[in-house]
Amino acid sequence: MASPAANNAPTGAPKEQGKSTSLLQRRIKKFKSLKRGYYSFLIVLGLYAFSFILLFFINNKALVVHYNGEYYFPVFKEYVAAKTLGMTEDGDAPVNFRKLQAKFEQENGDNWLVMPPYPWDPDERDQETKIVDEAGETVNYPYPPSSIHWLGTDPSGRDVFARMAYGFRVSISFALLLTIINYSLGSALGGLMGYYGKKIDLFGQRLLEVWSNIPFFFLVLIVSSIIQPSFIILILLLSLFGWIGMSYLMRGEFLREKAKDYVSAAISLGASDRQIIFKHILPNSLTPIIATLPFAIIGGISTLVGLDYLGFGLQGKLPSWGEMLQIGNDNKEHLWLLLSPIGAMFITLLLMTFIGEALREAFDPKEYSRLR
Amino acid sequence: MFQYFIRRILLMIPTFIACTIVVFLIIEVTPGGPFDQAIMSAQQQQQVSEAGGSGGGDKGGQQIPEEAKEALKKYFNLDKPLHLRYLYWFGNVMTGDFGESYKYSEPAITVISSRFPVSIYFGVIGFVLGYAVCIPLGLYKAIKHNSVFDISSSLLVFIGYAIPGFAFGALLLAIFGRQLGWFPIGGFRSEGWEYLGTWDKIVDQLHHTVLPIICYMIGSFATLTVIMKNSLMENLGQDYVRTAFAKGLTERRVIFIHALRNSLIPIVTGLGHAFGLLLAGSLLIEKTFGIPGIGMLQYETVLNRDYTVIMALTVIGVTIQLTGNIFSDLLYATVDPRIRFR
Repeated sequence: MASPAANNAPTGAPKEQGKSTSLLQRRIKKFKSLKRGYYSFLIVLGLYAFSFILLFFINNKALVVHYNGEYYFPVFKEYVAAKTLGMTEDGDAPVNFRKLQAKFEQENGDNWLVMPPYPWDPDERDQETKIVDEAGETVNYPYPPSSIHWLGTDPSGRDVFARMAYGFRVSISFALLLTIINYSLGSALGGLMGYYGKKIDLFGQRLLEVWSNIPFFFLVLIVSSIIQPSFIILILLLSLFGWIGMSYLMRGEFLREKAKDYVSAAISLGASDRQIIFKHILPNSLTPIIATLPFAIIGGISTLVGLDYLGFGLQGKLPSWGEMLQIGNDNKEHLWLLLSPIGAMFITLLLMTFIGEALREAFDPKEYSRLR
Repeated sequence: MFQYFIRRILLMIPTFIACTIVVFLIIEVTPGGPFDQAIMSAQQQQQVSEAGGSGGGDKGGQQIPEEAKEALKKYFNLDKPLHLRYLYWFGNVMTGDFGESYKYSEPAITVISSRFPVSIYFGVIGFVLGYAVCIPLGLYKAIKHNSVFDISSSLLVFIGYAIPGFAFGALLLAIFGRQLGWFPIGGFRSEGWEYLGTWDKIVDQLHHTVLPIICYMIGSFATLTVIMKNSLMENLGQDYVRTAFAKGLTERRVIFIHALRNSLIPIVTGLGHAFGLLLAGSLLIEKTFGIPGIGMLQYETVLNRDYTVIMALTVIGVTIQLTGNIFSDLLYATVDPRIRFR
């Protein structure tokens, strides 16, 4: 059988000489040609990949320590007692590597260590930097931006830049995971209703009507305020309701595709339901998934920010932009506390919007003809 | 057609019941639910009457004797099984009795209705201004497709997509409220608003309105403008537009009389859903600006675990949403004669 993807190809699409390209290949090529969206995609992808090795760049633990002829790699360890590296006065407390570095430099001996370029942990309170203003008074938290803390610290002395950077990974991972679960659930249930139709569809639609009318954000607030969910639990909680939108789209796709000739052909060839669903219809129904993906991720990021802003999200378990926003809103006189999370969010969401727009253009193009 | 809507309205009833059952169940089943809350609030009242109001009950779990607990359980019907409790609650709701707020010791419905005007005030203004800006903007963008104006205003649309209204609100408040002092830093009205003269009342109210309204508008700005633009663009490619041009009509007439009407259809049908948003207010924006509307009440009731008010808000929210859906269909059928519901 000919590639089913060619079925809804736009007529008259130019083919390259000698080799035929599939619809998907052509769409990807189109996406790549939309520079703004494509470069945004590369930037986001790069940043997200980078965020997984952030540990080596923004952290308060040394990457390598050379002490008394032995090498240590504390960055991989949860905890290193201060006395093991010769800081006897700190005893069993965790090593302060910035202090250790200063000590090694003072001793000028064989011992050395390599710190990450930005030596602050997102959850660490800065208790060593002392800032004095012009009048000679010590400045309390929050510290304003400086060469030590690029974006200052928050009112509990935690480094804003480090929190912002780690918040990026948390935000994107959260939204990505949420979207994957929502889309899988939505496609499975929507596809089921669309493919089998009849009673399953009727029953499903009734259930959906109830489910979609539940004031779900409110309900998430209530449950979240009681159980104080973890990262995964919060995602599962949100995905209880988040799949509804995709199920409508996929139901529509399946209803439409089911009626097409290539499905009849597959049926008459004796293909099983499973084969038809997964091998024939699904590959042709991916447009709504791909075209809405970036917007779903935007939605996921915004939801997490909103929940954290209200104090009903991750509740301080992980660095998050929403919590930073809430802190910034409570301390309006220190503008950097507000500008940092809003800036980070704005840039991320803007890039996502560019990607989304380009994907839509490539996968679900609308052609407008005008007489004048 | 008429039959269709009768059926839809009748279908509202089971949907409504099912929705409230789900919320009721979830609330009852989670620990720290209504019963603990009732006990807490009883303790607080006891302590208030004993200690003259200072220091609410943080540690009083031991003070309530078992018999009193049982009596309380009976009082709140908590000794009954879950389904009976739901039936009791449902029966009361049908007679208009939502119960008393644990927090405010007032009927829940009084608490809610005191907040409604505030949300409606912002909702209506934001809604009207939003449409007043987005429709002409979308229209102009469609007519001048790919012009400098279209492309530069698209930038605004992208910004609208990329920044949530409440975050923008926090920024506006910090800059124009806190730093520059041009606007009040939140609230619905100034303190002592009642004692101002009529003119000062209006000025003060508007002064408090500007920043939140900008945020309300940002939320719908991007989507609405894009819908309007795409809808008009689509219509301009239709055969009837070609016919109108072929008749020799002016471009102005073709666009504003022929195409515009049809391209307003998706905007108009959105009205039904906007109706729900309008009444429900926006939790995040109200929280940012400290506006005591429905959204803020939702936030407070969740914080205080004020379950009677939570259930009352759920009932109102679901009802508004269901009516909004039907209203939306009705509008759809009215403005677009091609649509026939069966």
